[in-house]
Order: sequence, then structure tokens, then C-alpha cells
Amino acid sequence: MEFITVQNVFFRYDTQEQEGTTEQYVISDLSMEIRRGEFVAVVGHNGSGKSTLAKHLNAMLIPVSGKVFIDGMDTADERHTVDIRRRVGLVLQNPDNQLVASIVEEDVAFGPENLGIDPAEIRKRVDDALRAVDMYDYRLNAPHKLSGGQKQRVAIAGIIAMRPDCIVLDEPTAMLDPKGREEVLDTVRRLNRDHGITVVMITHYMEEAVGADRVIVLDGGSVLIEGTPRQVFSQVELLRRHRLNVPQVTELCYQLRACGVELSVLPLDEDECASMLREVLL
Amino acid sequence: MRDITLGQFFPADSLLHRLDPRVKIVLLIAYIVLIFYTGNILSLLFIALTVLAIVLLSAVPLRMYLKSLKVIIIIVLITSVLNLFYGTGEAIFQWGIIRVTWGGIRNAVFVSVRIICLILLSSALTFTTSPTDLTDAIERLLSPLAFLHVPVHEIAMMMTIALRFVPTLLEETDKIMAAQKARGADMESGSFLHRVRALVPVLVPLFVSAFRRAYELAVAMECRCYQGGDGRTRMKQLKLCSRDFVAMAVTLAAIAVMVLLNTLVTL
Repeated sequence: MEFITVQNVFFRYDTQEQEGTTEQYVISDLSMEIRRGEFVAVVGHNGSGKSTLAKHLNAMLIPVSGKVFIDGMDTADERHTVDIRRRVGLVLQNPDNQLVASIVEEDVAFGPENLGIDPAEIRKRVDDALRAVDMYDYRLNAPHKLSGGQKQRVAIAGIIAMRPDCIVLDEPTAMLDPKGREEVLDTVRRLNRDHGITVVMITHYMEEAVGADRVIVLDGGSVLIEGTPRQVFSQVELLRRHRLNVPQVTELCYQLRACGVELSVLPLDEDECASMLREVLL
Repeated sequence: MRDITLGQFFPADSLLHRLDPRVKIVLLIAYIVLIFYTGNILSLLFIALTVLAIVLLSAVPLRMYLKSLKVIIIIVLITSVLNLFYGTGEAIFQWGIIRVTWGGIRNAVFVSVRIICLILLSSALTFTTSPTDLTDAIERLLSPLAFLHVPVHEIAMMMTIALRFVPTLLEETDKIMAAQKARGADMESGSFLHRVRALVPVLVPLFVSAFRRAYELAVAMECRCYQGGDGRTRMKQLKLCSRDFVAMAVTLAAIAVMVLLNTLVTL
């Protein structure tokens, strides 16, 4: 069994029932698997069930029907809840609302403290986690004095300090400026590459999904398509039909191809696009 | 409003800064008791000098202390004037109903010195101890009360979170006020009542947002395996070291001197 297995999950919020929209599930018949060490991007527009899926991966939400297994543990089994949350850390969108303490290092220590770890070991984990996100120099600062990108990196450090196998990031860059986005993305990529942490990155920026090992596109609460970024983003028509876009450079070359420019594949990033255009033009 | 300092902490590296916060709180209480235990001029002088020594030891600029005294100077004046006129005994000066006695003067001096010492001492604590250390120390000092089912951990957690969100919510207030002003809200002119009413459109969004933040924070805390105080450890361990014992010994000596001064000297 893979590290994370989602089997035919259906989910709807209780409040929906009261509002009379009983037919509509936020997540309906969703199945997916995530392997250890993978970097998976989950994309989809608002209301596609992305955030709801994220909360299923660490047992914050339990499926109405279907199963979610984390390393073989059923998330519906309350005996495993704490262990699951330690192994699968969830980073939320708004960095301001996830920091607990008024000093960076004390905030990072919050998770390990909850796990009842020995003080000397916590100290070591906090220092390691802050170095891993490149925020060690700011360990004694107050979070409200940091930039958005820095705050989000502290939030990631707070998760890393619990030594999880996997981190799930729910639109971690949505509230950040371009510089902050880049900082956070770099950090996440490095954690995946150098520390072998499995990453599930939920985003609505298609550009952010390009660097992933695999892209899963959600629409209406279930998987629309999945595959490598190249496989997924070459299906421009399908994505468009579901009101989803592709990275700008892919879109550009798609349009050029429609106008008769001969391009064999669609590029995913600026460099690739530039060299392809050069070949065509020269 | 953006640049507020939390509490009144003044970072420096003095003996007082390095003392264990628990010891500081307990000693502050001891000294407060001593301040009210003064029975004669000599013991009053002694406690005033002790407080002055503590203030000098804190390595915090004196103007910071003066600033905190400025707030209460009116109270000191009013209470000492009242004490001055309500003294009993033989009048040394009388003009109509105003009657000044030696007893009155003595009371006025005692009251003002006591209040000033009180403020200086508590300022010394808040200047030299960060808010986080204070909350931490309060949690540990109150921990015996947990046996009486007092939710000590929860109270401390609430204080920590409150301290953490003060600057965030202040920033948010700024933003909302700017947004309402951009929509034509007038908050600076008009009668007092008018200005209070003008705050409603600021407070409502502020409260809504505070509740949303609280909900998100609760989710984030659960994601980080928070399950209340049971089985929780702390990264920072407070440990008493030699300087803490020295501070306690000095305080005990001060108590002994006070007892001697109060019983032996009659002035």
C-alpha cells in the first residue's frame, strides 16, 4: 500500500444539509495515491474540493464514505489521530493565523512540546527546523515583524519540527507577494529534495505545479486528470472546458500552434519556451 | 500604532534581566509586603533605598521609570494632599478649615513614598522580563492550583495567544479604519458620542475577523497535535541558579533589617 491512499471518498459538510443543498458533495468518489518521497501538486479552481481534501489527509476531516489511509492507518480510527497528524503536517494558507507564540523559536517548539518530547531534543529539532527553512537567524524575533514569506517559512518549520514524513500545504502562497511565493516554493522544493519529505502542494497557480513530480487536477470534488506536468498541461482543451488555465508560456505556444506555428510539444517554463521559439524563428 | 512594544519589556543584559522570572515575581510580592510594613521613617528610608538600588541594578534608563511615574503623579499628589489635611494631633498651621499637623505631614510622606516605590518595583519587573517569560513564570507558579482543578495551562495558553495577537489585531484595526475612512467615515470630528458611534463600523468587522482568526488558529493548533496541557513538555526549562539564591538571600536580609528597624526604633 502506498504512503497515502484515498479510496472512493465522499464528503459533505453538515451545514450543507441544513441549507438544503443535500445533493452536492464537496468531494465525490475521489481516489488517489501518493508515494513516499513524491512531490505532488493538486490543482483546481475555487470550490473544487482542494482544501477539503487537504484536511482529509491529516484526519482533520473524516470521509462520509470511503477511506483514507496514511501509512496503512485508517484516519477514521481515533486511536491513530495524533500519530497521523504528526506524520502528515498541514500548513495553512494564512501564516498569521497559524503562529501561536510571540517568539519564532517558541512557536516552532509548539508542535514538539505537544508531542511530549524531551526538552533537549526539542531544542535540537527547533534549531534543525529553523535551519532547514533558512530562518535560524530570526529565531528570537517576533512573528509580527516578519514578512509574509518569512512567516510562512516559520509555519513550515513548526511542522518540520515534528519530523513528519509528509507535509501538505494548502495554498501556502495565496496571500504572499511574488518574492514571498518564491521563498516558500524554494523551501518546499528543498525539503522534498534534500530531506526526502513527501510534499502535497495544493495551489491554484498552475506555474507552481510545473516543478512537481506529478499533478492531480481536481474538478467538482473528484480527479479530472493526473499525470506528469507535461502530460497534464498538454491537455489544454480539456482543462479549458473545466475553466482551468495552463501556465502562461504553455498557453502562448498553444495559441501559436493554433495559428500554424510548428511546435512539437508545449513548453512548461520560460526557459523551455524561449529555446523552442528560438528554434522556430532562426 | 504599528510600532507598539508588547508590555514594557526593555531588552538589556543586567543581573535583573537574567534572574529567573518566577523568583522575580515572588520577590516582587515580598517587597510589596515590605513596603506596606514600614512603621517608621527609618524603615521607610531603608525600603526606599533598597528600591532605588533595584532600579539602578536593572540597567534600564531612568527616563523609562520617570515615564511610568508620570502616569500616577496625580494620584500621588491627591492622596498625599488628602492625608496632609486629615492628620490628627496638634496643628502647626491653621487657616480656616485647613489644618496641617505633624501627623498629617508624616502620613503624606509615607503614602507618596509607598506608591512611588510600588510603581518603581513593578516597572522594574515588567521592564526586565519579556511577556513570554512572565506568562511562563505565572503558569509554573500557579501549577499547584491545578490540583484544585484550576485550568492553569489553559489560562497561560490564553495569555500567550492574546499577547501574540495584540499586534496582529492592532494592524487590522488600522486597516479597517483606513478602509472605512476611504468610504467616507468620519472618526475624528463631532461630539464624543458621535465619535464613539463612528467606532461601530470599525468594531464589527474587527470582531468578525477575530472570530475567523480564532477558528483558523484552532485548526492550526490541532494540526500541530495540540491536546491540552496533559503530557506536554516545554522546550525552555526554568532552573534556579546561584544568582537566584543570592537574590533570595538578599531579600531575606532586607526582611530581617525591616523587622529590626520596625521593632527596635521608635520614631
